[in-house]
Amino acid sequence: MYDLIIIGGGPGGVAAGVYAARKKIKTLIITDGFGGQSAVSGEIQNWIGTESISGYDLAKSLEAHLRAQTDIDIVDDDLVAGVQKKDNGLPGAGFSVATRNGKRYETKYVLVVSGSRRKKLGVPGEKEFDGKGVVYCSTCDAPLFAGKTVAVVGGGNSALESVVDSLPYAAKIYLIIRSEVLRGDPVTQDKIKNDPKVTILWNTMIEEVKGKEMVSGVRIKDVKTGEEKELPLDGVFVEIGLLPNSDFAKDLVKLEEHGHIMVDTKTMATSCPGIWAVGDVTDVLYRQNNISVGDAVKAVLNIYDHIKKS
Amino acid sequence: MKKVTIYSTPTCFYCHAAKDFFAENNIAYEEHNVAADTKAREEMFAKSHQMGVPVIDVDGEIIVGFDKKMLTDLLVPVK
Repeated sequence: MYDLIIIGGGPGGVAAGVYAARKKIKTLIITDGFGGQSAVSGEIQNWIGTESISGYDLAKSLEAHLRAQTDIDIVDDDLVAGVQKKDNGLPGAGFSVATRNGKRYETKYVLVVSGSRRKKLGVPGEKEFDGKGVVYCSTCDAPLFAGKTVAVVGGGNSALESVVDSLPYAAKIYLIIRSEVLRGDPVTQDKIKNDPKVTILWNTMIEEVKGKEMVSGVRIKDVKTGEEKELPLDGVFVEIGLLPNSDFAKDLVKLEEHGHIMVDTKTMATSCPGIWAVGDVTDVLYRQNNISVGDAVKAVLNIYDHIKKS
Repeated sequence: MKKVTIYSTPTCFYCHAAKDFFAENNIAYEEHNVAADTKAREEMFAKSHQMGVPVIDVDGEIIVGFDKKMLTDLLVPVK
C-alpha cells in the first residue's frame, strides 16, 4: 500500500512527485505522459527562471527532474479511471485507485493533478472533419494552412495565440468570438488587431462545419440578430476553453458547477479527507504552470504533516 | 530492416516525441517537413487522408499520431 498516489504528470504532478520523493513519502505517480497541457505549446515565455522555452523542452525537463528522484514509483502509460474509498470509507482505511489498463493500486492518500482537456464545439461536422481541417493544436498544424483561409474560434489567450501562430502562414484569418470582448492579454490583442490579415467576427458562433474530403467552410450565426451565413475557409482552430478532468473523482469530492474540484486554498485539501487536488482540475482562480507547481508543493507538505501526525 | 518515414512540422510536440523514440531505439528514419515541403504535404494527405501530424509510414503501414504501442510492436524487437 502506498502513502500517496499522485494522479497526473503535468507541472503540478511532477512538482508533487519531486517533493514527495524527497520527503521519502512512499509514492506512486500515474500519468499517460509528462508536461501537461503546455507540452504542445510552441513557446512559453512566462515559466519563471527561463526567458523562453518550448513546451517540448519544458515537458522533457519536468520528466527528467522526476526520474532523477530515487524514491518514487512511476507509471507513465496509464490513466486513472476511478477512485474509491476502502473499507466503506472507514477513516484512515485509504483508497483504491483503478486504472484504464486494468490495474488497481491502494493508498492512504490521493493527490489529484489531472488537469483539463479541450472543449469541443459540439456542432455537426466537427467530428467528421477532425484532422481534415478542424484543428485543436495550432502550434502543430498552423504551418499546414500556408496561403489558406482559417478561422480561430475563441476569445481568450489560446485563441489569440492561435491567431499569432497562423499569421506567418495563412492568407486570411477570421477570429470568431461569441461576445464583444476579447479576454486575452492586451499584448497579444494588439499584435492581431493591427494585422490586415485578421478580421474579427464579434457576436458570432459556428453552427456547422462543412466540406467534402476536407473542410471547405462553416455556417456561422450572429448571436444578436440570428442571421446566418456561409463562410468559405480551409481550417478551423478550436480554442474555446477547457473542461476539468474530474469525472473519476466526482463521487468522492465536491465539485463546483463547471466540474472543478473545490479545494481549500491554504492546504489544497478537498471536501473528502485524504484527498487533495491541485491545478487546473480545481476551482483555483488562475490557471498557470507556475501556480500549479506552487500549489502542488503546498499539498505535499500538508500531506507530509498528516503522515507525521498519524 | 523496415523503412520508416515521418511527416512532421518543426513545432509539433508529438513529432519530437516520435523522433526521440526512434533515437532511443536506434531506428533509422526519413523525415519530411510538411510545413515547408508542399509535395510532402500532398503525399502525407494521400497516405493518411487527413492533415494532422505526425504521420509515420512503416513499410507502407500508416500510423497517425505518436502511437507508442503500435510503433513498439512494429519496430522494437522483442528481447
